[in-house]
Amino acid sequence: MEFDFISVTTFWRILLFLHFVMAVALLAAVTLQLVAVLAPAPVAQPAGNFVDRIRAAPPRWYVAAIVILYVPTFLLGAWVYIKYRTYVRIPMEQTGHWWTVGSFEFKEHIVSMGMAMLPAYWYVWREPLSESFASLRKWLTIFLAVAVWYSFLVGHVANDFRGVGT
Amino acid sequence: MTQALDVHERISEFGGAKAASQSATAELTTSKTARFVFAFGISFAILYTLFEQMNWPLFTYHPAVGKLDFWMQRARSGEGPGMYWYGWLALAFPCAALVGWVSTLVSSKWLYRATIFCCVLAILWSAIFAILVLTDGRTSFDTDLVKSMGWWSAIPGLVGALVISYFVPLQLAQRLFTSWLLIMPIGGLIILGYSLKSFFLR
Repeated sequence: MEFDFISVTTFWRILLFLHFVMAVALLAAVTLQLVAVLAPAPVAQPAGNFVDRIRAAPPRWYVAAIVILYVPTFLLGAWVYIKYRTYVRIPMEQTGHWWTVGSFEFKEHIVSMGMAMLPAYWYVWREPLSESFASLRKWLTIFLAVAVWYSFLVGHVANDFRGVGT
Repeated sequence: MTQALDVHERISEFGGAKAASQSATAELTTSKTARFVFAFGISFAILYTLFEQMNWPLFTYHPAVGKLDFWMQRARSGEGPGMYWYGWLALAFPCAALVGWVSTLVSSKWLYRATIFCCVLAILWSAIFAILVLTDGRTSFDTDLVKSMGWWSAIPGLVGALVISYFVPLQLAQRLFTSWLLIMPIGGLIILGYSLKSFFLR
């Protein structure tokens, strides 16, 4: 089967690449927010090098970017997942890459949990920041960062098995 | 002097935590959005784990032939594998949204008690089931026994959840409410991760 102007394989590769690009942007946003949350710069510290400036950035700056990126990255991943199930996972099973299959299965679950936490995450990061949610804010940020990092790494391994550029 | 300062600091910290907890409670009592987002997150974690473990998808998608079947449908010969993940999500998201909406209608007291009940039920049911399965050697080959244990373990779980949610002080239930948002997804992921062990032990 072919579309008029593009082969089916190219179509799926473009989708996978878009998913990858959005995941990289999301990864950057959650990592920067995590640094700003876990290692905030002292209030009086003047802007120094790159790391100091990241630490000094208010963590709430990243919230909109994370929410806006998480949802379409999730949806695009869910779409590409169709191709993974037939074109990637079956050869993985046939060649005995069970760790990769299992890790990818867990990715489904962790990104789903992250998706359901997004509304609460957005709520606790609303302005003005409520002191009563300070601890929850920190832990939700950590959870999302772990979910995104895990998903990125596992997705990358699956792509290396059979995906763009392989 | 140092000891006195330490004690003072600890009392201040304790007072601060208590004040923060009270402030969170006040916000949850007044804000419907807060109730919705927290109830949605907590209930999704429980429902998604339940649907995955029971394999209750709203539909099954067969990607090789582009076919959609209602509820759970095993892969048929020549039609490739079935996908259930979409079906679990399609069921868990609207159910969690419904729970979130209901949470905006009930009183705070009911919300906290119901949350304790559901979360404790999920924990006790899973824990009792895990103990039964791990202590009975027959479960390694008898899937019918495992299924029946799954249902039987719900009974002590239900009784325990009823007792705890009835007797737990309301203040403690209030303080715990936001914590469930982290406890339930992490607990769910532990269960879901454990159920994948066959992939890692081959």
